[in-house]
Amino acid sequence: MPSVRDLRDRIRSLKNTQQITKAMKQVAAAKIRRAEEARKRARPYADALAEMLADLMAAVSTVDHPFMKPGNESAPAGIVLMSADKGLAGAFNSNVIHAAEVFARGRSAVAYYTVGIKARNAVRRMGFSDRPTWPLGATSKVATAREVAERVAVDFVNGTISEVVVVSQKLVSMMSQRPETLKLVPFQISLSASEPFDSAQDKLRERSAAESKGAVEFSPSPEFVLSRLLPKYLEFTLYSAMLETDAAFFAAQLVAMTNATDNASKLIDELTIAMNNARQAAITKELLEIVGGAEALGVE
Amino acid sequence: MPDGIAFKLVTPAQVVFDGSATLVIAVTTEGEEGILPKHAPFLAALKPGILRANVVKDGASSRLELATSEGFMQALPDRVTVLVDEALAFDDVVVAEARERLAAATDRQKEAAAGSEAYAREQAVIDFANAQLRLTGHR
Repeated sequence: MPSVRDLRDRIRSLKNTQQITKAMKQVAAAKIRRAEEARKRARPYADALAEMLADLMAAVSTVDHPFMKPGNESAPAGIVLMSADKGLAGAFNSNVIHAAEVFARGRSAVAYYTVGIKARNAVRRMGFSDRPTWPLGATSKVATAREVAERVAVDFVNGTISEVVVVSQKLVSMMSQRPETLKLVPFQISLSASEPFDSAQDKLRERSAAESKGAVEFSPSPEFVLSRLLPKYLEFTLYSAMLETDAAFFAAQLVAMTNATDNASKLIDELTIAMNNARQAAITKELLEIVGGAEALGVE
Repeated sequence: MPDGIAFKLVTPAQVVFDGSATLVIAVTTEGEEGILPKHAPFLAALKPGILRANVVKDGASSRLELATSEGFMQALPDRVTVLVDEALAFDDVVVAEARERLAAATDRQKEAAAGSEAYAREQAVIDFANAQLRLTGHR
């Protein structure tokens, strides 16, 4: 049976841990709000971009852009794997990494591009040591998204990779996140059903239903605008996925830290009772010894 | 007050302007393009430059001038939407930073082959930096 002192030490250390988890929980709660706001601010851009794209698709009958054609079949599939930079958020990072591995199993070969330090480390552990990588928490997410988009676009057009897939965490609700695999290139309008593609598809449906808007004039040409718009769309989708990963990470961390704080409370309670028992047992033992000793001496 | 059109200027980070405008002038890849109300449907690629608009705010008309990076402009008879990566107002421009970017991009461009993608990319940075400097009267 542990001594009173041992128990007291353990309780003290647990209380320290609890203070840290409580602080992290509060920080996550504050940051999640900021991340959500950033996501909301990106919304109008997503809508406008989707609308322009819909206009273009309606105007251009045959699209001659590398993003619209199937890639080099013999090349490995390109996976953009997004994780957080830090841990302490439950299974957040390992879930998304696992999702990427599941996807990779369906392909003969894959090439990883990682965003987020945890994803980078995981890919290194898989034995791919020199894959391109970017941190999630860079000062400008827009700039990072642009770099990633450029890199995968160049590799796709060169035939180094056969497709571009992004694996990232989606924020289902504040309580749950789900890793999702999204095919980006070759670009298929009617493929996915998730943000920000929801709006793109809605707009497309609206547009094709209406179809009465008349001819749209393009400057300088529909093909040129499309050749500019498609990379922008790829870039923005990556940016949007980064924002979502950010928000989902803090949501996961909030849950993880809430649980950790609660568990620490429970342990502290249990240990306090054990400590009180131990102390009481010691007192009782001492009393018995005194009484026993007095009796042995024959004191009245 | 002539009728305005709904004018929206958005970047991935925020909605820069959302209101009414009587005239929007943006720099497309083919040159400056002015949009008045009831413009025919129009979609253009923009190059970095200075976007100007006569906007109506709280019943009073005012002038909006922003240095914008590459993007797109969509005009419909009743509205104009401009999508750019960045849009900086006079007060947002950091002159020293713009100068630095301009110098760095100019250097990098010298390394790139003319007509290559890298060359065009640096040109966009140069144009955007120049637009910022022009907007603030430093050029």
